[in-house]
Amino acid sequence: MKSKLLNDISELLENNIISQEVATNITAYYKSKEDSQPNRLFTVFGVLGATLVGLGIILIIAHNWDNLSRSIKTVFAFIPLVIAQLVSGYSIYKEKSQVWKESSGTFLFFAIGASIALVSQIYNIPGDLGSFLFTWIVLTLPLIYLLNSKAVSILIGVFASYYACELGYDFGYMNKTPWLYLVFVLATLPFYLKLLKTSPIANSTSVFNWLYTLSFTVVLGAFISSNWPVGFLMYAMLFGVFYNLGKLPVYENQQLRRNSFTVIGSLGAVVLLIILSFNIVWDEILVLASLAMNTQEMIIATVLFVLAFMILLYTKKKEKAESFNLFQYVFLIVAIIFFIGIANAIVATVLTNIILLVLGLSAIKIGADTFRFSVLNYGLLIVTSVIVCRFFDIDIGFEVKGLLFVAVGFGFFLTNYIMLKKKKELNR
Amino acid sequence: MKTIHIFILFLVMILVQLFVPAKMIFDRENVLKTGVTYKFKTQPVDPNDPFRGKYITLNYEMDSAKTNDATWEQGKTILVYLEKDSLGYAKVHSVSKGQKSTDRDYVEATVSWNYGNSNTINFELPFNRFYMEESKAKPAEDIYRKYNRQGNNKSETYALVAVKNGNAVLKDVYINDKPITYYIERDNE
Repeated sequence: MKSKLLNDISELLENNIISQEVATNITAYYKSKEDSQPNRLFTVFGVLGATLVGLGIILIIAHNWDNLSRSIKTVFAFIPLVIAQLVSGYSIYKEKSQVWKESSGTFLFFAIGASIALVSQIYNIPGDLGSFLFTWIVLTLPLIYLLNSKAVSILIGVFASYYACELGYDFGYMNKTPWLYLVFVLATLPFYLKLLKTSPIANSTSVFNWLYTLSFTVVLGAFISSNWPVGFLMYAMLFGVFYNLGKLPVYENQQLRRNSFTVIGSLGAVVLLIILSFNIVWDEILVLASLAMNTQEMIIATVLFVLAFMILLYTKKKEKAESFNLFQYVFLIVAIIFFIGIANAIVATVLTNIILLVLGLSAIKIGADTFRFSVLNYGLLIVTSVIVCRFFDIDIGFEVKGLLFVAVGFGFFLTNYIMLKKKKELNR
Repeated sequence: MKTIHIFILFLVMILVQLFVPAKMIFDRENVLKTGVTYKFKTQPVDPNDPFRGKYITLNYEMDSAKTNDATWEQGKTILVYLEKDSLGYAKVHSVSKGQKSTDRDYVEATVSWNYGNSNTINFELPFNRFYMEESKAKPAEDIYRKYNRQGNNKSETYALVAVKNGNAVLKDVYINDKPITYYIERDNE
């Protein structure tokens, strides 16, 4: 324990500022905190070490040692696997600490990959990267629950996304929809929900928040097969689900850097709307989109819509004070605009621009009301990007464009300055 | 859940983890030892897999068959029944959607293209990856090109494949009856 703290406590005790009981409590608190600290650090290093060793083994195998005989190579395929299984088994049987379980689980995860990689190399087993990753994930999934391992769960999340991208973003004739990705994600979900219940504000839980949002955002495109214009609708609905999830009590009171759902939900929706604010995009949608309900894209968009709507209703019901946040309703508005866009591209373009401007203004208002500079500038940035983007498709002279830029720059400066002044006055 | 229960489940899991690679080995060994060996004419090119290392992709000459059936679906698995031509290379005897009651050897293939009324079905043979030591995959492709550029009609590249009950295991790739690695090692010296 820090000696300065001990000195302070004894000084406070001598001068009767705190009682003996408080002093022991403080000492005990820092002692317990100290005990858990190096352990956590050790876990991180254990997992990192196991990951590096595991990946190293895979790379050594990938070299393909063709002067070794088939039987020797086969033995090598099992050595890392058996070692990893023994260590993992030992840490379960002896009820070892979490450091043991996380590290051995990580090592076992990579040992399985190494083993099946070497076997498929020795026997030239056909099958692309997708099917290889699939076998790997299936064989390692139970580790999450048997070892209660966050590291393995994160690895499964990352590799499941890799699998989905490998399968879905292959634009050849073999392009498949990675439905099994959903099964993998569902399989990791109980573990995540348990974490949310037991330690909602732990750093490791926020890693999972980010993992899930980023994974879904990246992978959703792999579920688009031929009816790609509906992909815009799918993404709008996904961001609607995210933003409204972020408003659930579990996440809402957390810092923004932990609440990936709000961040990605809001940013994603804005970026999507900026893309849709170009008239040429709507022209393409008008020609190519099919709203037939039996396409895979429309079904996914509908499911996500219902999900977002249900979460929205739930949060509104739970909310004590009535408050209106336009960002929560963006997915509803985009859905309506999308159906208008199928009939008339110009109207849809105008509506998209209006909604973007209103979103920007509402962010500025929220920022000004709560004195949060980040939100205020976010709103300003939205408004600015709408103006900048319109320079590309509206024909106006350079002098007008220049004046507009100067005006926008002044706007940034002025709003921030006014708010700073107000904040100072309030503090006084 | 008690530790002992978790441990039992863990034992079940490691058995599966050991069983899958072991079964992969056993199945292939069985085909290699007891299957019939065929020679498939081929051309190699060299890509790369992040986990399993360098390999050459083999484009087989045998990639289509005559058929009167126009209902083949792209991406579906079909059975290709084999026979040997006068030089001992594999040749399509017939294609079928399901198993036929014959002793003839067959391999599974994927329908890649079907021109409907052209009476021809195109397919892809699955054993198209030959893993090689990382420094040898690219030379393998170059050596193939070298031997086919010389205008030497007798130069033949083929894959040696063991076949049994529809399972096929790629054994080696040959140029003119010598393994491709022989040429790479000879050129390195």
